[in-house]
Amino acid sequence: MENNVKRKKKKTSAADMAFIIFNSLFMILFVAITLYPVLNTLAISFNDGTDALRGGIYLWPRKFTLKNYTTVLQKNNLITGAYITVARTVIGTASALIVNAILAFIVSQKRFLFRRQLSLFWVVTMYVNGGLIPNFLLLKGLHLTNSFWVYVIPGMVSAFNMLVIRTYMNGLPESLVESAQLDGAGYTTIFLKIVSPLCKPVYATVALFVAVGQWNSWFDAMLYNRMSEQYTTLQYELMKLLSSVTNQGASAESMKNAVGAVTPTSVRAAATIITMLPIICIYPFLQKYFVTGLTLGGVKE
Amino acid sequence: MKRKALVSLLLTAAMAASCLSGCGGSSSDSDSTPSSSDNVDAEDSKSEESEGNGGGVKEFTAFFAVPGSEINDDNEIQQIIAEKTGVKVKETWLTGQTAEEAIGTIIAGGDYPDFIEGDQGTSQLYDAGALVALDDYIDKYPNIKEFFTEQEWDSLRQEDGHIYWIPQFSNIYGQERECTHNDEAFWIQTRVLKWADYPEIRTMDEYFDLLERYQEANPTMEDGTENIPYTILCDDWRYFCLENAPQFLDGYPNDGSCIVDPNELKIIDYNTTPTAVKYFQKLNEEYKKGIIDTESFTQTYDEYISKLSTGRVLGMIDQWWDFAYTAGDAIKSAKLDQQGCSYVPLPITIDKDTKNQWHNSGGVVNTGTGLAITVSCDDVEGALQFVDDLLSQEIHDLRFWGVEGTDYQVNENGEYSRTEEMRTSCADTAYKAAHLCTYSYFPQWLGTSRDGVNAMKPDGQEEEFYDSVSDDVKECFDAYGVKTYVEMLGTSEAPGAWYPMWSYSNNLTADTDGGMAWTKMGEIKHEYLPKVVMAEDFDGAWNEYMEAYEKCNPQDFLAEMQTELDRRMKEAEKYK
Amino acid sequence: MSAKAKKRKENTSAEPKVKITVKELKRQKVLLFWSAIIVIYGFIFYYLPLGGWVMAFQNYKPAKGLLHSEFVGLDKFKRLFSDETFLRVIRNTLAMGIINLVATFVMAILFAILLNEIRQRRTKKVIQTVSYLPHFLSWIIVTGILHDVLSGTGIVNEVLMNLHLIDKSIDFFAHPSYFWPIVAFANVWKETGWNAIIYLSAITAIDPSLYEAAAIDGAGRMKKILHVTLPGIKPTIIILLLMNVGNVLNAGFEIQYLLGNGLVQSVSQTIDIYVLKWGISQGDYSIGTAAGIFKSIVSIILIVIANQIAKRNGEERLY
Repeated sequence: MENNVKRKKKKTSAADMAFIIFNSLFMILFVAITLYPVLNTLAISFNDGTDALRGGIYLWPRKFTLKNYTTVLQKNNLITGAYITVARTVIGTASALIVNAILAFIVSQKRFLFRRQLSLFWVVTMYVNGGLIPNFLLLKGLHLTNSFWVYVIPGMVSAFNMLVIRTYMNGLPESLVESAQLDGAGYTTIFLKIVSPLCKPVYATVALFVAVGQWNSWFDAMLYNRMSEQYTTLQYELMKLLSSVTNQGASAESMKNAVGAVTPTSVRAAATIITMLPIICIYPFLQKYFVTGLTLGGVKE
Repeated sequence: MKRKALVSLLLTAAMAASCLSGCGGSSSDSDSTPSSSDNVDAEDSKSEESEGNGGGVKEFTAFFAVPGSEINDDNEIQQIIAEKTGVKVKETWLTGQTAEEAIGTIIAGGDYPDFIEGDQGTSQLYDAGALVALDDYIDKYPNIKEFFTEQEWDSLRQEDGHIYWIPQFSNIYGQERECTHNDEAFWIQTRVLKWADYPEIRTMDEYFDLLERYQEANPTMEDGTENIPYTILCDDWRYFCLENAPQFLDGYPNDGSCIVDPNELKIIDYNTTPTAVKYFQKLNEEYKKGIIDTESFTQTYDEYISKLSTGRVLGMIDQWWDFAYTAGDAIKSAKLDQQGCSYVPLPITIDKDTKNQWHNSGGVVNTGTGLAITVSCDDVEGALQFVDDLLSQEIHDLRFWGVEGTDYQVNENGEYSRTEEMRTSCADTAYKAAHLCTYSYFPQWLGTSRDGVNAMKPDGQEEEFYDSVSDDVKECFDAYGVKTYVEMLGTSEAPGAWYPMWSYSNNLTADTDGGMAWTKMGEIKHEYLPKVVMAEDFDGAWNEYMEAYEKCNPQDFLAEMQTELDRRMKEAEKYK
Repeated sequence: MSAKAKKRKENTSAEPKVKITVKELKRQKVLLFWSAIIVIYGFIFYYLPLGGWVMAFQNYKPAKGLLHSEFVGLDKFKRLFSDETFLRVIRNTLAMGIINLVATFVMAILFAILLNEIRQRRTKKVIQTVSYLPHFLSWIIVTGILHDVLSGTGIVNEVLMNLHLIDKSIDFFAHPSYFWPIVAFANVWKETGWNAIIYLSAITAIDPSLYEAAAIDGAGRMKKILHVTLPGIKPTIIILLLMNVGNVLNAGFEIQYLLGNGLVQSVSQTIDIYVLKWGISQGDYSIGTAAGIFKSIVSIILIVIANQIAKRNGEERLY
């Protein structure tokens, strides 16, 4: 008997060893492959623009300069843009998280009368779209164009985020909710005091999704606040600087007259790094919620 | 109790939000943006007097549905122009959308800026009744009036007989002053010409023969990098570098989409001419010989530019603006011009007897689009006055030459020139945004200044131009006894009154059979021409291509072009 | 609720049958109040703009607006479905959508699980941070690097040549057969770390006692993954799979646009590129709307089917 157990242990640890080696190799390869484009962008961002045109820059700049960064940082309106972007990220994330959590909680309640209908109502929204012009007309009709609120109110509820939270809530032990109900707690108490504290990891995830979406979006600023400079966003300002980013609209004629409108790749790289930095800095605070050791995570009943 | 907690949480968030956005609004009120918070109605918000700019400067808004660079709010020359004219224009450019899409949304919303350039969306603006008819005003503004001849103004009249937009470009004042050939040509590095002792290269065969001989004698650059004798840019809409050479080889000017026979006034399809077959057959032969870059058809524009920038590419066909401001500058900055890597154009045709028309004299008025004033503008006269002012010599010099003493210097004969330092700073992105203000999509002149000495724009100033080119180019110019790129090619007379046909074909849509055929032809050419060049069996590939091509009904397109040609010629008759 | 009903609930996660009674409505009034507000919101922002679908049946001109544009019935749909090119772009979109779905899905789950097996917290955090960074690079940067890596003199060709697997460099972008795998690879490259975040957060919800129990049973790492981790995140996997099945027709636009060229255009063009070319850049908004309606209908059919399958198997489902 004792012998048996011992043999078993030895055998499994050999398998585990193989697993650990495989896993380490996989992770090293994975990190190398995903880190390369970022390091490459970083190197190009510190390289002279004209020189970078020749290509052949990999992990280290060839002709070092800070000029790309000064070009980006000198951009007109960057301060206003940064201010609005921070505001929309904070407000947009907070409001979206609250609303999606409430909605997810409602549809996670097994006794809720219109559970299926409400879920279906939102699921459909993921796959239908009225199109650019009808949406524009709607927002204009609601006086949301030329205003800050166009960044927050449309798109506040998203079926995707709601479903991610709901799935997590469904995974929580039902005994928790049931025992609270027996104690006479109402839905609001259960949501705030029992469910939400356990949902921190998924809230952090959704907050990250919404925040990154808010941080990176520029199309709404371009479309709805084109003529209201005071509501410009950081990304829209950078996008204007990188006007050659999508040349879908360009034709030989318009390019001919727009001499100098092409922004060097190196400036594009610098702009990318500048927008990535704040997110990299904030990330560890959110990360602690969803990257935890096995012993720390999980629900304790 | 619990509900209260939730509600108060929401309230706090909302309050924080309104506080923040409130601050956003108030901070901007102070910095002189005229379109203040509540501009629900387009009419009332635009072009108000704003105090912040000092001395009641009137601010107009402008949207250009083309890519462009924004200038800073406190741009110095913009400020000087504002002081002189009392007007400042806030310019916004196309970002991340197509022109049609951007214009479509603006029309749907009904919020127009004061000035607009619709590019491909111009006809939509006209249909929507968004533009102000300008013909009643034009006579009051001498500089605008002078901008076009009576015939040219009439050619801008739309179906309802009114003029709605002013084409901004390629208009020549006085004597033509062009040094740079801004258009398409077969380019070659000066080192190749120098090696062959600056021979006369007139035909396509001679051109490729020279590349072959040079490559055999010099397979690498000085540092050992292998040369690429010839590359073809084929990325997206830039595939004109592959497809449109036959029209030039046959000695016709750039009508863009077809050839116009000037005697018979007939539209000819350049895709199917004997010259087209010869040209693509030549490319096919050269491809097999390894003269043509094997990555030609898969490279992106960025890759193409980086290839050119390394100085490895001996020759290619392209438009000047497409490579000169990127690859051309990179070659200079890497001092590769000392190895003779700068490009010069060659006057190449299919045979010696054909006279080339790579470069034509005379301006090209693109009647399809231009600067327009919208119905949202509450001061049309003020707006036009500003356009008129921009065309006055003083302001025109400020726009394109800059500030005297800072951006250019004047000698005792009144000639303008720039020092090397001035040239460098005028090419710098940050300096451009902070200092220079060309109002680049407002009407502008080419040619000679009203002082009779200088060119309207620096790149037309011969001495200035000659000073700015690299030594290898100077040496090449001297060897051929020329002074400019244009003289390398020789100038042809302006083509007939129809020119250019592309101003019509650019605006074709799939609504008509001709437009449908035109779009399909583009798709087929883009897919099959690379195959033709790379084919083992040229004839087989060519026949396959022609079969697919015929299925697009090119005759529909040609018929529509013929109708337009006839219409234009009939219009022109009136002025004979 | 009877014990039997409770048991069924646990097995199949089917909801209890609750009848609509005044008492029940009263009991749930908080839930009803909030859901009513959210439904009104959803109706305004998501359903009202669908009125714009009328554009697909018109020859819409911005100048005339939605109300006065010429009505053309099903003409736009007829034009789409009689065009060979459109049928081909549907094929391309579906193929790339499915390949991308499978590739990104498998990789994200694999990565999340393997990352979770790393014991050193610091290493784990660093790897996770690095993995999601490419998400912030724009497609134009990623495709630029991809072009570099796969070019004739790029690293991939060099490695293949040194290993003597090939004797002449491959021009990866010239052959239609390489295009779909390249697009899938680019998607995996850019989004794996980002997509894994959801699974990582789902893993945190797994009860640690299950791992302990498994360890006592003598389970090795592989066994724990298969019997504890995977079942633990299964509901999340199912929900994301269901959602993404509805998205297979949204295979993208930018990446194909940036990676494509004339030689591979027969396999590279997607519905969105077609719409840009034949609709938007020709000033024809109706074609785009018609294609959008087609995509919506296909998506909804797909998720209904997928949801039914999930329901039959007693899995987590969308509605």
